[in-house]
Amino acid sequence: MQKKAACPFKRRPQWGAACLKPSSGRSSPCACAPHGRAEGVTSCACARGGACAAGPERAARSLRAGGAAAAAAAAMFRYPSLEECPLDEEEDGFQALGEEDEDIDQFNDDTFGAGAVDDDWQEAHERLAELEEKPMGSRQQAAPSSEDAELLGEPEDALAERLTRLVIESELEDPAIMRAVHTRGPGAQTMALNTSIWDGPSVLQRIRTPLLTQEMPSVSVLDYALPQRPPQAREEERDPSERALPRRSSSPIIGSPPVRAVPIGTPPKQAAMPNFNQQILCPKPVHIRATMQQRYSAPYGERMSPNQLCNVPNSSLLGHPFPTSVSPVLTHLQRAQLLGGAQAGRISPSQFARVSGLVGSPLPSVNPKLLQGRVGQMMAPTGGFRAFFGAGPAPPSQPQPPPGPVPHLQGLRPQPFRPDTTHLHPQHRRLLHQRQQQNRNQHRGLNGSVGDRGGHRGSHQEQARKDPYANLMLQREKDWVSKIQMMQLQSTDPYLDDYYYQNYFQKLEKLSAAEEDGPKKERTKLITPQVAKLEHTYKPVQFEGSLGKLTVSSVNNPRKMIDAVVTSRGEDDETKEKQVRDKRRQTLVTIEKTYSLLLDVEDYERRYLLSLEGERPALMGERKQKICNMYDNLRGKAPGQERPSDDHFMQIMCIRKGKRLVARILPFLSPEQAADVLLATARNLPFLIKKDAQDEVLPCLLRPFSHVLYHLPLGTVTSLVQQLTNLPQSAAAPATTNLHLATVLQNKFGLSLLYLVLSRGEELQSMDGGTELMQDNQWTELMLLATRELLRVPPTALPKPVPPPSNLLSLFSRYVDQQKLNLLQTKLHPDHRSRCRFCCWLLVSSSG
Amino acid sequence: MNYMPGTASLIQDIDKKHLVLLRDGRTLIGFLRSIDQFANLVLHQTVERIHVGKKYGDIPRGIFVVRGENVVLLGEIDLEKESDTLLQQVSIEEILEEQRVELQAKQESEKLKVQALKERGLAVPRADTLDEY
Repeated sequence: MQKKAACPFKRRPQWGAACLKPSSGRSSPCACAPHGRAEGVTSCACARGGACAAGPERAARSLRAGGAAAAAAAAMFRYPSLEECPLDEEEDGFQALGEEDEDIDQFNDDTFGAGAVDDDWQEAHERLAELEEKPMGSRQQAAPSSEDAELLGEPEDALAERLTRLVIESELEDPAIMRAVHTRGPGAQTMALNTSIWDGPSVLQRIRTPLLTQEMPSVSVLDYALPQRPPQAREEERDPSERALPRRSSSPIIGSPPVRAVPIGTPPKQAAMPNFNQQILCPKPVHIRATMQQRYSAPYGERMSPNQLCNVPNSSLLGHPFPTSVSPVLTHLQRAQLLGGAQAGRISPSQFARVSGLVGSPLPSVNPKLLQGRVGQMMAPTGGFRAFFGAGPAPPSQPQPPPGPVPHLQGLRPQPFRPDTTHLHPQHRRLLHQRQQQNRNQHRGLNGSVGDRGGHRGSHQEQARKDPYANLMLQREKDWVSKIQMMQLQSTDPYLDDYYYQNYFQKLEKLSAAEEDGPKKERTKLITPQVAKLEHTYKPVQFEGSLGKLTVSSVNNPRKMIDAVVTSRGEDDETKEKQVRDKRRQTLVTIEKTYSLLLDVEDYERRYLLSLEGERPALMGERKQKICNMYDNLRGKAPGQERPSDDHFMQIMCIRKGKRLVARILPFLSPEQAADVLLATARNLPFLIKKDAQDEVLPCLLRPFSHVLYHLPLGTVTSLVQQLTNLPQSAAAPATTNLHLATVLQNKFGLSLLYLVLSRGEELQSMDGGTELMQDNQWTELMLLATRELLRVPPTALPKPVPPPSNLLSLFSRYVDQQKLNLLQTKLHPDHRSRCRFCCWLLVSSSG
Repeated sequence: MNYMPGTASLIQDIDKKHLVLLRDGRTLIGFLRSIDQFANLVLHQTVERIHVGKKYGDIPRGIFVVRGENVVLLGEIDLEKESDTLLQQVSIEEILEEQRVELQAKQESEKLKVQALKERGLAVPRADTLDEY
């Protein structure tokens, strides 16, 4: 009887030939040939990786399956995941479970039973603690742990290898995707397990490279001292297929950082140190990163992660207490590097060479005794623990000769370290160093700290002294955090990313430059280094032979989750509301687009200054074009010549942002265009006023309007007044009501605008000597009408405007007599009656 | 050393006494011992201060590790000015009692409000996603 077998091939007719009809009848999650027992089948090649637990019964039955089994097994291999071997339903369910149990047992065994590695962190920690006391004994203890590490790595290793073999495209791998790769070989393996965040990309690269065909050439320290490195590095960059890992530069900033054995939030356990003699001297307990070789093989021209920066000597991260008795080859480089500093950003290849060369420098010369048993001369956590566990400021007795760790706990440093100040303004840096020198001299007696106490107040220092828990967070850790924060500020285009900060400081500098009084206060500005943008395209990883793409999406390679298709509306039964809404939305979109254009246009000045001579005409052209576009957007691209409707413009003006937009655009428009805008505004002012009731943002337009007015000829001004006041009225309208004007007058903006326009007219009048104006009857008429209206309006109805221009009175004086002038004047200046009455009298008397 | 001028950083605040307000409404006072880039805080000799009206009570808590995202704000406490406060310190039991009373009163008023809204057929504002405080 053939039970309904879990034939995975049922669903795949193309594999029908190899369809296994196991007379075993048992469904099994893995219907592959059992290992070791069946004839002709040597190893289980199923995706479970060798842990298929086939019982003896299955073996017997599979034999009957015979040749098909082998074929099936081969086919089975293609299934990358267990899930695709479907479990049979109902009947065989329990039996399947039973068989699964066997598999689980096997797994259990691997995990917890005999096959497992005892990896007890507590023990390791104890060992660590003991290390501090007995440097000699630790060496022996470390040895077995390294073996443990190897054992642990193996079963995963095999699987990982297989996986990597399946990967088709290994170039340009996404750093944001977790890698389940381990290296081969004992040394590399311990390294893989013991990597910490202090390791730069070089470590991970090294981990990867053994798996690939092309290996990175081993680099010696001296190579870095030579300037040949840069071309090589550049070639490497251009040839990505040979690269194991993509450049680290993009990952912490753009994407997520690579997954580490120890998460990135962990402060450094150990100071970054090169390997040189450590392999021999330094023991390797499991959780402490032991040896690092060639950490500096990170590529050039990249932003250095905090890890890399740690490797740089005398960066603020390193507070190593070793005397720098460096080899003569590198001394001069060291000095050069000291001043250059390790920028958290792009450093020139030559600098980098020196940097990396220098890291190697101090340690070879170090007393081997120091290294002996010293898993990290800067054992921060254990040091921290000690301090925390009530050991007090005096660390427990340390019989070791090296003063290294001990003063570290107390904050003492035999060697003054220079913090990384390259990001600061040079003057600021100088000041800082001076201050630090002072501090150092001062505080050496007090508590030995080298400026990392900050030295704010004397009392504070005393407190710090009394506080036994102070400096739990080491200087190195503080610097580490601050480095991360600094890295977040790195940007390829600070004006784009950090616009407000840059502008703020520009303004400050301008102010201080304007003041120019004596010793200028130095405003310390955080000058972040600019880094070149590195473009990376990440292609998703593909497994060979898989039916479909692997769903690995990361920050750098996001996967399209939703297929959003925009369908245009064709419905006829749209409600009025919808239409209105759509129109409003369209207006909003227009405003946004115009705003982008505006921002670009405003930016042109800066770009102009930064650009080369040849590029400038092009820039100007672009700018003009954009301005035109902006204007078109504002007024609505009417196909007709005239702009018959202000509708589009009104829509924009109804929205608060639109008004602000217009205010900002006006300075860029040509006089005609600006006048056009003004006229349109004036024409529809009552409507706008009504709409602005809530926002009250119209006054923002006053200033740009006044600037525009300044350039307007009289004709335009006249028409403006006409529009504003809506005079002369048609005969039909009753003489007493001029709603347009009334509304205008009763609104602050309207009134102010009217005054502005009038004053401009007055200016023109007084300037031209009257010849032109006498001919212009229109103006006179308008003025008469306007003044009449003004008189009519009760003073209380007039809002308090922006202080009206001074020449208004003289304007009015031409048209009215004294009494009326007084009236007008009270209306104009409701608060300053007494003062102005005098002026008015003067004026009148003079003109009379 | 002036870390990162022109920016805000907690590094200068280390080893100083701080008052930290958390998203769940708690007020912690302690010495800031350690930070990280997410503004996770390690507070030492922490005291949770409960304020009710003009009274407050301190509950000693020891060491706190606060996840950065839960911090609303924090500020350094001026040790000299710490003592001149108008608030009156009371015992823990008393302040807890006061807190309980206050909470009860609040719940009562909330219940009434919900009731009133229901009567008018209005929706009850859900504050699930808002912070407690």
